Amino acid sequence: MEDAVTHEEDWKVCFAELGPGLVLFARQFVRSIADAEDIVQEAFVRFWRKQHSIENRGLLYATVRSIALDLLRRDTRRARREAVASADMEQTTEPHFDFDDGSQRELAAALDLLPIEQREVLVMKIWNELTFAEIGAALEISQNTAASRYRYALASLKKNFVAHE
Amino acid sequence: MNDFSELEADLKKLRPRPTSPDLAARIEIGLAEVAGRGTATAGVLPKRRSFRPNWIALGLGLAAAATFLLLARMNVDRPSTKAAGLALISPAPVTPAARVDDSFVPSALTRVVYDTRDEGLHFTDGADQPMRRLRTHKRETVQWKNPQTGASLRVSYPTEEVTLVPISGQ
Repeated sequence: MEDAVTHEEDWKVCFAELGPGLVLFARQFVRSIADAEDIVQEAFVRFWRKQHSIENRGLLYATVRSIALDLLRRDTRRARREAVASADMEQTTEPHFDFDDGSQRELAAALDLLPIEQREVLVMKIWNELTFAEIGAALEISQNTAASRYRYALASLKKNFVAHE
Repeated sequence: MNDFSELEADLKKLRPRPTSPDLAARIEIGLAEVAGRGTATAGVLPKRRSFRPNWIALGLGLAAAATFLLLARMNVDRPSTKAAGLALISPAPVTPAARVDDSFVPSALTRVVYDTRDEGLHFTDGADQPMRRLRTHKRETVQWKNPQTGASLRVSYPTEEVTLVPISGQ
């Protein structure tokens, strides 16, 4: 396969470009950055080992998501904790972003209020620049569903962010 | 135009935190381990499984060879024992010429393999193919004999031998 990434150094270039966005995506499922990085590490190695084309970004994100969900299923206590964490928006977690000002902090906090289904679409779209088709492939939903979740996310975010402002 | 363009722009200004410095190193190690398991050099895991019968055969072959050597050496030893017995019964006449040649010469070597351990695949320095490392424990017995007097000297010592066997995918 000509476009398959096979060279040893290629992954470093790819990782430098996608790494932060992948970790951000993984953190939508777990609250610890260490867990998120473990997930990305496993996903990246698995993806590279199978020599998938890096053009297939949807598959890479699907791999991250699958490993994250497996992790949650394996550890029921962790799953319960994560569910509580998702519901409890006041919980303090490690920030996902580097902030320039308080307004950005508010925006990030509003982002945390979104349901996971909307947040994962938003993260893939905004910070990883996936198309709705790629998002749909990663989440195994239609691209129309992906697009509508994105719109719902923005609408909720706007409402919450404005409310905070 | 959509109603959210300003919000999208604000979101894009948020920069995800950089990954930990060691994450790339961990991935590198993970990929190296995968390669070490065979993708780049010795084939993927199922291929490795196909080598196993070869090593069983090799192990059996080694055992057979060791047994053969042992038996062969025992056969070599036997006459010399008899000779020693004869020498005791009827020692060779001591002559001045015999005194000159009064020296021990190696007469037998016995090598008994009592343990062979397969230590798996290893990469040697600079090698691009893994090699199987076999560690063999033996006991060697060397015997010297004085042909003139029939006297013999026997030294026995343990040895450990490490053999690197190239593997083949065929």
